[in-house]
Amino acid sequence: MTDKTPYFEIKDLHAATEGKPILKGVNLSMVKGETHALMGPNGSGKSTLANVIMGHPAYEVTAGKIIFEGQNVLEMEPEERAQAGIFLAFQYPVAIPGVSVAKFLKSAHDATHGKKKLNPAAFLKQLREHIKYLEVDDAFINRYLNDGFSGGEKKRMEILQMLTLQPRFAVMDETDSGLDIDALKVVSKGVNKLTGPDFGLLVITHYERILRYIHPDHLHILIDGQVAQSGGPELVKKLEEEGYDWVREEFGQEVLAH
Amino acid sequence: MTGMTIAQPEKIDTLLPGLDNEGLARVQAETPSKLLQEKRAAAYADYRQLAWPTVRDEEWRRTDPSLFPLAEMQRLPDLAAQDVWTAHPWDAEFDVVVAVRPDGFAIRHQNHTARELGITVLPLAEAAATRPDGVEPYLRGKALPTPSGKFEALNDAFWNFGLFLHLPAGVQWERGLLVRYEMDQPDSLLIPRLVVVAEPQSRGMMVERLQSPDDIRFMAVPQRELYVQEGADFKLVSLQEWGLNSYQVSNDWGLAERDANLNWITLNFGSARSKMKFGGDVAGPNSAADMDGIFFASGEQHMDQRTLQIHSSPDTYSRLLYKGAVKDVGRSVYQGLIIARPGAIRVDAYQTNNNLVLNEGARADSIPGLLIDADDLKCSHGSTTGNLDPEQLFYLRSRGLSEAAARRALIQGFFEEVIDRIPQAVIREQVHQHIEQKMES
Ligand SMILES: Nc1ncnc2c1ncn2[C@@H]1O[C@H](COP(=O)(O)OP(=O)(O)O)[C@@H](O)[C@H]1O
Ligand SMILES: [Mg+2]
Repeated sequence: MTDKTPYFEIKDLHAATEGKPILKGVNLSMVKGETHALMGPNGSGKSTLANVIMGHPAYEVTAGKIIFEGQNVLEMEPEERAQAGIFLAFQYPVAIPGVSVAKFLKSAHDATHGKKKLNPAAFLKQLREHIKYLEVDDAFINRYLNDGFSGGEKKRMEILQMLTLQPRFAVMDETDSGLDIDALKVVSKGVNKLTGPDFGLLVITHYERILRYIHPDHLHILIDGQVAQSGGPELVKKLEEEGYDWVREEFGQEVLAH
Repeated sequence: MTGMTIAQPEKIDTLLPGLDNEGLARVQAETPSKLLQEKRAAAYADYRQLAWPTVRDEEWRRTDPSLFPLAEMQRLPDLAAQDVWTAHPWDAEFDVVVAVRPDGFAIRHQNHTARELGITVLPLAEAAATRPDGVEPYLRGKALPTPSGKFEALNDAFWNFGLFLHLPAGVQWERGLLVRYEMDQPDSLLIPRLVVVAEPQSRGMMVERLQSPDDIRFMAVPQRELYVQEGADFKLVSLQEWGLNSYQVSNDWGLAERDANLNWITLNFGSARSKMKFGGDVAGPNSAADMDGIFFASGEQHMDQRTLQIHSSPDTYSRLLYKGAVKDVGRSVYQGLIIARPGAIRVDAYQTNNNLVLNEGARADSIPGLLIDADDLKCSHGSTTGNLDPEQLFYLRSRGLSEAAARRALIQGFFEEVIDRIPQAVIREQVHQHIEQKMES
């Protein structure tokens, strides 16, 4: 029997930046081993939610809770969240000139693996395997992190980091945007390597396309900082055919009815 | 400017004890070569006439000359070649090593390479005595500006350690020369003079390491003069690690002739106060200068660097990248000037200065400049000054790095572009360590 108690939970989350409210009461709950998708129009707050989960200092949480495996995530520093097994694949990964991919990945691996650190040779072996798996050029690891990387390279780099860190819960923020079908397949392959009974995934996306490769158990639709609809995979089809307008309407009516 | 009072610097008397007529007479008595006697006498005449710089001089506006305790220092007697050798782990990286101490210096060939290639590494006095014609054009030669500045003239008249490096035409010298200074005599004044001549099509490299203990007061007034002749390629790396009670005013000049390449890397970590000036003249068509620098002022350190990219010929290229950090109440000044002389057309000149200000109370001034007397040139200068990027910090922390580790990675990364250009791994490692130590202090 699978454990149905939520291991990742967001409760009535409110967040603001520069005094402007963006998240206005987000609720979301995931059971271990599940993949959820989060969709929603531009500007609805998807990236803000992802950043708040990871602890971005630009956002102020004004109310609500995030619980991961019983821990109060909002009280943790970003690095503590990473060390606890939370990962965010950024929508717009920043470039860090002067910091090489290999060196960075080793420090990140060491920082998140506590006593299970690898020696440099074993680490490099593992890194090479991941690189091959993601069909990335070997020269990649000696380059500076995201510096001069194409959009697609940056996205692969995020997945490479995810494979290296082996998180237990990951948020992928529009990792699929800007990828051609081949790149999308590679990225999905990387993600599916991690999925399993001990891994939870929240896929933020704009397009239904990726959901053909990564199959969500649940889908949430975020509108104006709130989850307006939640449902099973059948929602994907409906969104594909009808767009967001019906969600807005239903949600709007619901709001009015209260 | 009305109503502003400019602090009057303490006057350094024109003739400081030991750096006066009597001092010169003593120096001349020690000087074996007629050529050097003439050069010293001419420089001394300039030195006497020139006024000491004050904060009213634009170049010294942010670095008060009276903060350098020159008047309280005793010029060391001319350093003589003698057996003052102590081994150093870096020696194995080079073909020739010069160890300089307050009581003398030693030149050691680690192997036969330099001699087989016909490369000369000699005390300047000996070179001037044995081959005056080979030295004459390059001592106070055309790389130096005229008129001379006060500190340049002081160096020319009173230098107490001189070294001459000569690369014959066409030699390819991979491993080069290490000159290491280990100065530990309190209140002493070292005035090093270096002359480098790289003949046509030669290629070579030298590294300087400047060290003194933190607990002694010491001052250095170095001057270097570099001639990179047709098609030659010369690289100099200068690692300034003077102790925290040391002072330095340095003036360096390099001249690249047709098709030549001059590459100069300055790495400033030490000293209480330092002021450096480096002028690179791309003087022949198709010549190029690459000038890179790192400086990191922490604690109460004050570091001032001025660079001149002089384009005195058409079709010349210069690229400059100076990266600095300031921390605690550290202070840095960067003043850069691109000069295109009349007729210097089709010139590419780039100047970049990036500064990291790591906390409130630290300060970095950046003053880029252009002095253009020609057209048809591509010229750019830019500077940035600020703290670490919060987005980059967050990115690293989101991967599990502690805030301190993320800051360290970003700061090392900030300097990496310059560090990458240092040929020796041991020196790159040393630079990383300096940055690490400064972060932790
Ligand atoms: N750091 C920020 N500073 C100012 N405004 C922000 C910031 N982050 C997000 N916003 C604003 O919050 C809203 C939601 O943005 P975002 O979370 O990026 O949406 P999505 O990812 O769904 O497109 C937008 O109006 C955006 O301009
Ligand atoms: Mg977004």
